[in-house]
Amino acid sequence: MIGFVGLSHLGIVSSLAAAAKGFEVVALDARPGLAAGLGRGELPVLEPGLGALFATHGNRMRFTDDFTLLGGCKVIVLSLDIVTDDANRSDLSGLHTLARQAAQQAPRGATLVVLSQVPPGFTRRLSSELEPVLQNGGLHLYYQVETLVFGEAVKRALEPERFIVGCADPALPLPQAYAAWLAAYGCPVLPMRYESAELSKISINVMLAATLSATNSLAEICENVGADWAEIAPALRLDRRIGPHAYLSAGLGIAGGNIERDLVTLSALAEQYGAEGTVPRAFLQHSRYRRDWVLRALHAAVLSKQASPVMAIWGLAYKPNTHSTKNSPALALVAALRDFKLRLYDPQAHLESAPPNVELAESALAACDGADALVVMTPWDEFSAIATDGLKGRLRRNIVIDPWGIWRHRDLTGEGFQYFSLGRPPR
Amino acid sequence: MQLSRPSPNLPSRVIILGSAGFIGRHLIRHLRELGVPILAPPRAEVDLESAQGLGPLRSLLRREDAIVVLAALTPDRGRDVRTFMANLRMGENLCSLFADFAPAHVVYVSSDAVYDDGANPVREDSSCNPSSLHGLMHLARERMLAHVFEKSPGSLALLRPTLIYGPGDTHNGYGPNRFLRAALKGERIALFGEGEELRDHIFVGDVCRLIALALRHRAAGTLNLATGHSHSFRDVAATAVRAAGRPVAIEGAPRRSPVTHRHFDVTQLIKSFPNFRFTTLDEGLAAKEDEFPK
Repeated sequence: MIGFVGLSHLGIVSSLAAAAKGFEVVALDARPGLAAGLGRGELPVLEPGLGALFATHGNRMRFTDDFTLLGGCKVIVLSLDIVTDDANRSDLSGLHTLARQAAQQAPRGATLVVLSQVPPGFTRRLSSELEPVLQNGGLHLYYQVETLVFGEAVKRALEPERFIVGCADPALPLPQAYAAWLAAYGCPVLPMRYESAELSKISINVMLAATLSATNSLAEICENVGADWAEIAPALRLDRRIGPHAYLSAGLGIAGGNIERDLVTLSALAEQYGAEGTVPRAFLQHSRYRRDWVLRALHAAVLSKQASPVMAIWGLAYKPNTHSTKNSPALALVAALRDFKLRLYDPQAHLESAPPNVELAESALAACDGADALVVMTPWDEFSAIATDGLKGRLRRNIVIDPWGIWRHRDLTGEGFQYFSLGRPPR
Repeated sequence: MQLSRPSPNLPSRVIILGSAGFIGRHLIRHLRELGVPILAPPRAEVDLESAQGLGPLRSLLRREDAIVVLAALTPDRGRDVRTFMANLRMGENLCSLFADFAPAHVVYVSSDAVYDDGANPVREDSSCNPSSLHGLMHLARERMLAHVFEKSPGSLALLRPTLIYGPGDTHNGYGPNRFLRAALKGERIALFGEGEELRDHIFVGDVCRLIALALRHRAAGTLNLATGHSHSFRDVAATAVRAAGRPVAIEGAPRRSPVTHRHFDVTQLIKSFPNFRFTTLDEGLAAKEDEFPK
């Protein structure tokens, strides 16, 4: 039996994936009502395939807020997502508490696995803090890199590329129960020192940030020299050194919170150790700059040209198939457009409280009624399925700002629209 | 930049220090058009260079006043240490006054010369490393005022305009005004190299409207005053020729220094004043002294 402690996004998806691999699972969270709600199938996160996973494998799950149930688990996974503040700094206090509680309830010889997002040095410090409990109980402590991606979390949890495992001593074999759990996924297992594994997690995100930042930087040049990034990206994907799955889609900076957190951590580590920290700082600065691309386009096309314009905004989530708005460019845009009337629609994400200038629309097309411009801030599939003919007659002026290019394959200019998209000159 | 008054409201009175200069004369006219009571004491009345010279200003000052500080000895009056120190003395005297009696709002008109020459694109958080004494003077004054206003209930706005052009400019620096003057006289326009350098030029009327917006909103913090669009000097020259309406030659010359460009990222300006419309170079160069494009 495997225990998962901390049922945020990471814990819910990972525990259900373990059940799907045939393991009996105790899924624990002490927050009032959360475990009970999950037991009734009330999933507080949006992920494609998660509901089906629960329906098929939920019978092997025991959701609880009772720590004593960990007494039957040979592997206990600390799976709490680490929250970050507005400056993308991590708050690890909740994880410390959970680790202590879990260690006290773990059965003799059990394995504790930190799956949460932690900075280099955390697991070794935790090992020292918990040393008496670990020693008395014969417990093992490991750190394991999580690589969930919002919107693709189920697929990645069921079919991971590899497991990166941080160990006190990587020369020793993994405990049998832990190794058996990992083996069920049929992918390589890479044991290494705690610090190497912790830095591997950051390394993955920094490499992604590098590709994203390079993409966005090149996309801006495309917008100015008459090139089209959509023509360039496929050529790059065929280069073995770049690869078919590289993050080559131009976007509005880096959002979602995870990559930004690791860039902030790397920047802080560079400052702490006197290493050159220009690179992560440049990625963050460039991300902030590109986040406001839509505002600059709107200023040029609408705000500076028309009194009291109304804008339709499609999408709040930082990307499709999630309801997360962490660091979402749409939220920044709504805040910047505080003086203008906005008609807003998102199929899943919500504003915590809508300011007075924001009207929430019933549908994507309803948001366009009487608007002077349409801005697509999240490329949900349901938006790209909408025929552009339907926009005419609803919009007062045919201005479409479509950063992600959901309609880039159509000739909107030929259809009478003023069309702006990332990575190519305005048309 | 933070806007203390989300709903704009003009101050009950604006005192302009340095009102006799290029910006000052345009600002007086613009604020008068808006119906704002103005006090523009001449240098003979309020001498910022001496501590005693501020006495008359102190006696006039009311808590609810807004003050626009334009006063400075510009580089055409001297680029030397003596000018630099005279400018710092003005800053010191003003800071003494504000430490003693802070008005509700001070708008200090600084310069983009405070930035590192290599900053590109320039934004408000770009590195400040001025290469000229003029830039260093503005940066020092900014820091001195900020130090005073840290402990003051008043608000301080630091505005950093880039290259300003428009009718009535007393300077004759390389750029739109010199090109237009030459074209109006039918004289050839001489470029450095082929005039490839890209620079951002802001119309003086836009600078005045942005100062007025900062006053209306009692803005605090730092903001660059630039358009976000850079033009080559050759394009500027061609625009000046069009505005003059005379066939004038634009001539290049062998280049003596490498080409450098400067652009501004004006996102913060757009966020502060989202519906602000910049005057185009064509409109600005065609503008007459008393009828600016709106």
